[in-house]
Amino acid sequence: MNLTRRRFLQTATAAAIGFPTIIRASALGKNGTVAPSNRLTIGGIGLGPRGREDLKSFLSQKDVQFVTIADSQKVRQDLVRVMVNRHYQNEDCKQVQDMYDVLGRTDIDAVLIATGDRWHTMASILAAKAGKDIYCEKPCSMTIRETQELADTIKRYGRIFQAGTQRRNVDNFQFAAHLAHTGKLGKIHTVHAGILALGESHKWLPEEPLPAKEVCDWDRWLGPAPWRPYNKEYVNGRWRGYYDFHGGAALPEWGAHTVDLCQWGASADHTTPVEYEADGQTIYAKYANGVKMVMRLSGFKGEGNWVVPGTCPVRFEGDEGWVEAADTGKIAVSNPKLLEGGAPAEMHGTDPSKHVRDFLDCVKSRQQPACSADIARRGHIVSHVASIGWRLGRKVKFDPVKEVFIGDDEANRQASRSRRSPWHA
Amino acid sequence: MTEAACLAALAGSDQHDKARACQELVSVGTPAAVPALAALLDQENISDYARSALEGIKDPSASAALRKALGTAKGRQLAGVVNSLGVKRDPAAVGDLQKLALDAKSGVASEAVASLGMIASADATKTLQKILADGPADLKAPAAHAALMAAESLAKSGKPKDARPLLDAVVRAFPEGHLANVAKTQAVSLGAKRS
Repeated sequence: MNLTRRRFLQTATAAAIGFPTIIRASALGKNGTVAPSNRLTIGGIGLGPRGREDLKSFLSQKDVQFVTIADSQKVRQDLVRVMVNRHYQNEDCKQVQDMYDVLGRTDIDAVLIATGDRWHTMASILAAKAGKDIYCEKPCSMTIRETQELADTIKRYGRIFQAGTQRRNVDNFQFAAHLAHTGKLGKIHTVHAGILALGESHKWLPEEPLPAKEVCDWDRWLGPAPWRPYNKEYVNGRWRGYYDFHGGAALPEWGAHTVDLCQWGASADHTTPVEYEADGQTIYAKYANGVKMVMRLSGFKGEGNWVVPGTCPVRFEGDEGWVEAADTGKIAVSNPKLLEGGAPAEMHGTDPSKHVRDFLDCVKSRQQPACSADIARRGHIVSHVASIGWRLGRKVKFDPVKEVFIGDDEANRQASRSRRSPWHA
Repeated sequence: MTEAACLAALAGSDQHDKARACQELVSVGTPAAVPALAALLDQENISDYARSALEGIKDPSASAALRKALGTAKGRQLAGVVNSLGVKRDPAAVGDLQKLALDAKSGVASEAVASLGMIASADATKTLQKILADGPADLKAPAAHAALMAAESLAKSGKPKDARPLLDAVVRAFPEGHLANVAKTQAVSLGAKRS
């Protein structure tokens, strides 16, 4: 008989009735806690600094039991295990190096994936095949093809997937989208997405001696990414900017958030722009209905001509007004009347708590979360298409239904990359 | 980089230069680059870069080079070549992939099964059904995943009747649990599309 975890716990509880024992109130769901049989069991895969921020949000949810961490680096396993065990005041969290030891556990409902970008799609696909629901950090893919494979796989296996684009669940961004969707800005004609400076390096850092495999499994760290000699800088978190590890010339780094928000603001979650043209570090795109998207520079030091300070800014412009929002939680509008009756309290854009809660609720209800694989598919594809156009240095046209560049073999050939053997979808 | 510059780099000895050349050839490679790329398919570390370029070249010579490498590449490099033939959905590779899938000693049986699922031709799907029915136990889950992918692909291309036997085979191999649920859901979807 194939016992589910909840059934197992029910059976175990019944069997224990005949034995005098002391059961903690929290284990029974008293004192405001949630009984184990009603908790969602979560495993972590690749939790560095950002992943541990996500983990804080998971741990703060009473219906979550975080049980294990897999990471190719022991130092990161240790950090997560200590953090989790300190939170629960026990020693139950297990640390492993191989993600298959997490995915193979039948008692785990969902996984939090926060590896580097090179692993996001592959790990999510493996998790979906193993029957897990997935919260995956962004960017969720390295290429257009990976984006498609990810969304198709999630749909095929009927899993709940939340892209870690938490700004869909941050108040000021939600309010900006609300103004766009309710017609208070008039007809939306232009949306602006803040992006980091575009660029990609093909350099290899000097080769260093490989660490012991149990300290850092370099082969597993690389995963589906192409081989290159080991250097500790990569595994210490400084892998961004390298073509092999950081997809889309860095455009999806913030574009996964801001382009996604623009898609939402333009009521375009079901489609993508059809034309893209780069002018230096600015990319101009246009939807089939004529709405424009401008992807333009922002940064950590207030770069770019944005009204609202903060990282990951967006701006929605209609023929009757505009709104701008960014990570500071602030919001700016063309007319103060737009803020009447509902201006949100400031909430920092990097806080994923509401987004995590949305995911957990959807795991239970089997409804789609705010940034499902299908929604993430379009937003990520826009970022990848724009970056390919920027790399080619010319205008590109894209078919949002077939998801291919139109009459452009050179661009289409950049839509995918081989995975390093033996990783395959 | 021009194709000529890439080919010059491939003829050199520097690994980084070869890797970069292969990455450029993903976009600019023509049949002229195939022999130089094929020569790298059995080389540790660089083989994956060469496969990526060959996957980008649509000319039949690129697939032919990959098929030829099935007889020479070993270990991880062989697994990669098998995967590339799946990515290219090369129907001419099905015979070789069937042999690798059914040979427990090949070391790449699960990769071959996955590629058969990507190709999803009639011969390929028959092999998947055979493995699901009476193949080795450790190959049944990879075959089920491949069958689910193939069934989806067949349904999308207007061949739901060809998809149904694959889904039935998955349910027979895994009567309960996650894989059975996925197959049954796909089967319901096929029924809905037919009506």
